[in-house]
Amino acid sequence: MTLVLPPKPRTWPKTLGIAAALAVFTLLTCLPAIGGVELDFAAIAKNWRHGASKLAQLAQPDFSFLPRTWIPMLETIQMAIIGAAAAALVSVPLTLWAARPSNPNSVTRGIVRAVINVIRSVPDLVYATILVALTGVGALPGLITLFLFDLGVVVKLVSEAIDSDKHAYLEAGHAAGATQFQLNRALTLPQSLPLFANQWLYALELNVRISAILGIVGAGGIGRLLNERFGFYAYDDVSIIILEILVVVILIEVVSNLLRRRLA
Amino acid sequence: MSALPAPPSKARTTVWSLIAGLVILACLVFLDVDWGALLGLPRSTWEYGVLMFSDPTWEKLPRALFETWRSISMAWLGAILCVAASIPLGMLAAHGVGPTWLRTILRGIFAVIRAVPEVIIALILLTVTGLTPFTGALALGIAGIGTQGKWVYETIESLSDDASEAVAAAGGGKIAVLRWALWPAALPTLMSFALYRFELNIRMSAVLGLVGAGGIGSMLSNYTNFREWGTVGMLLIVVIVATMLVDLVSGAIRRRIMEGSRARGLVRSR
Amino acid sequence: MTNTAHAAGASASAAWPIRLENASVTYPNGTAALKNVTLTIEPGEIVAIVGLSGSGKSTLIRTVNGLVPVTSGSVTVGPHEVSRLRGRALRELRSNVGMIFQAFNLAERVNVYRNTLVGRFAGQNAFRSFFGIASPEDRQIALDALDSVGMLDKVWTRAGSLSGGQKQRVAIARALSQDPRVMLADEPVASLDPPTAHAVMHELTRLNAERGLTVLVNLHLMDLARDYTTRMIGLRSGEVVYDGPAASASDADFEQIYGRRIQPQDRLGAS
Repeated sequence: MTLVLPPKPRTWPKTLGIAAALAVFTLLTCLPAIGGVELDFAAIAKNWRHGASKLAQLAQPDFSFLPRTWIPMLETIQMAIIGAAAAALVSVPLTLWAARPSNPNSVTRGIVRAVINVIRSVPDLVYATILVALTGVGALPGLITLFLFDLGVVVKLVSEAIDSDKHAYLEAGHAAGATQFQLNRALTLPQSLPLFANQWLYALELNVRISAILGIVGAGGIGRLLNERFGFYAYDDVSIIILEILVVVILIEVVSNLLRRRLA
Repeated sequence: MSALPAPPSKARTTVWSLIAGLVILACLVFLDVDWGALLGLPRSTWEYGVLMFSDPTWEKLPRALFETWRSISMAWLGAILCVAASIPLGMLAAHGVGPTWLRTILRGIFAVIRAVPEVIIALILLTVTGLTPFTGALALGIAGIGTQGKWVYETIESLSDDASEAVAAAGGGKIAVLRWALWPAALPTLMSFALYRFELNIRMSAVLGLVGAGGIGSMLSNYTNFREWGTVGMLLIVVIVATMLVDLVSGAIRRRIMEGSRARGLVRSR
Repeated sequence: MTNTAHAAGASASAAWPIRLENASVTYPNGTAALKNVTLTIEPGEIVAIVGLSGSGKSTLIRTVNGLVPVTSGSVTVGPHEVSRLRGRALRELRSNVGMIFQAFNLAERVNVYRNTLVGRFAGQNAFRSFFGIASPEDRQIALDALDSVGMLDKVWTRAGSLSGGQKQRVAIARALSQDPRVMLADEPVASLDPPTAHAVMHELTRLNAERGLTVLVNLHLMDLARDYTTRMIGLRSGEVVYDGPAASASDADFEQIYGRRIQPQDRLGAS
């Protein structure tokens, strides 16, 4: 008995189209003539020993260098904490303005969202570079960079979370004759606090990683020392600094996880 | 009126708030910062803003676009490298796929890579491949493995066991389970994460440019040092527009992928 | 207009009538939820609005306090024509209309006291609102309201940890603390088990009897309408198909309202 099959759906033209588009895009990214990347695998073959030897040097940290790193590392941590705290404060009104349930006015909501999107589109080191030119070398440009970066992250993520939640209590509040401001202050804020706390702690974790680097462009923290030692080819010093950054990052992640559980 | 119960004690929250406040205060006091400069900031922001945006140097736009494509290329190739490496490694690091010792080692490697900032990985690679965009792409590729690998094994572990059990019950081995049960179910989410990695890389590539890997970041760094604010303004506009465009397009594609997979029942909708 | 404090059980401010004239509501997506409804509800009446889901009950009850605006026709509550009000005037009207909901609509992470206090927000000044400090009078009104529904012992508990019946009673307290002239209840017992549902319906009847409040309740269960209200309005597809005494409504009347035969789930059962 011969079976009569239904016609098989033809998905291959679509898949082929997508694959072709991806291939063309990738090809364009490899053309140095229009700005693509020149894939220099030969360099890897030739120089991998350099990298390997550097890695080997990096695997031997010089612990005696540690005392010189305390103050810059402390500055890094201070910048991270202050930046996160300041951003946390300012993020509350901005987030409530950016979310639909807490701000029914689509004009002001649109403006806040647009501003936040622009702030998020500028990478952190770009802010740092320009701010250093504005205010001079030191921790201040680093602080402001972290503040702006954190605002971008927190406002976007928390406002999206508020948007996707249900807020039935707001209908009851409006029915009782309350203003949006009263309801936000008394109800929306406590209800969203776990969302905020989560993102504030995430911002703190990010800050430590970023502020370790900002020093490279002169915005304070241990980055400057790192860059300097790298320039002197003192890889054992570089190694201990990297190790230190790693330890601090892990510590902050642990503390942050603990706090997250208590605040949820 | 019946008896009003006593309000709960606020002592604990007060103590913790005080501690947090003290920590922040201590950081503020002991940080060596020129607070005077902060007060002058709104004014200088306005002045420099005017310098940058009142007459941007559009003549240099072709060069800016060239460098932007360089940054995008670094981001794209880095994303491909990262995804290509993190998918197999991440799968092996998932519960129920590879042996426990392998899982622990891989997760440890992911954690270490995650903790090391991308710039440092770039600096190390400089010694091998030199101050080129290729270094930037490699750095982005390697640095991303930490986070991407974690997302891969978390995705695999969040899949329901139904399909895997079905394949195993029919007599399939580990590889068959991977190929026929896990891979199709995880694919939409993994593709979505791959695109997100591209979005993240775009931002990172500007940063790498600042340490010399090329791209729009290095152009920005140079002209900031030359204090040519007109060009800096133009470059900022280009960066903002390019980043927002990539976010828009990539975000839309990601939404379509996830919607399609939700419709086909592959992803548990929240 | 001052909201006067009052001890539980004393007569409330005089109740208001509700009048709809040719009220129609068409949603932006084209759905006609209400079609030319004309109704008059006298002060102090307790009225049930009965109908299936989609009959327009929720829309109707929300036109009374302006949560849903009418697209044509008018709604008058007491001296106010709702359709004309905006901003502060609308909020003042709403402060005189209490409302409870099927999903209780409490803020789960916030305690019972603060949830009840929401009823006093309409008269609270900006300074107090910003710092979250209620006046002593408002505090007493909220506590009295909680006491009158028997929830004072839970005053500092998080609303989320209460049972359904308890939440609804807190919601009633919130509405009571407004010292309202009208009480609206949108399917207040649909999420509650039979004994609790009867308790809450009893509470509404008590409010109507003791304070003389005008009460409007949305219900989809026939026996609750018959047992607890004096007048019943049947809605079907946005139109009034029945308006008469609740106790004498027959099964045939209900079948006409529902547009189908009566089924077991249309009755709640014994308390």
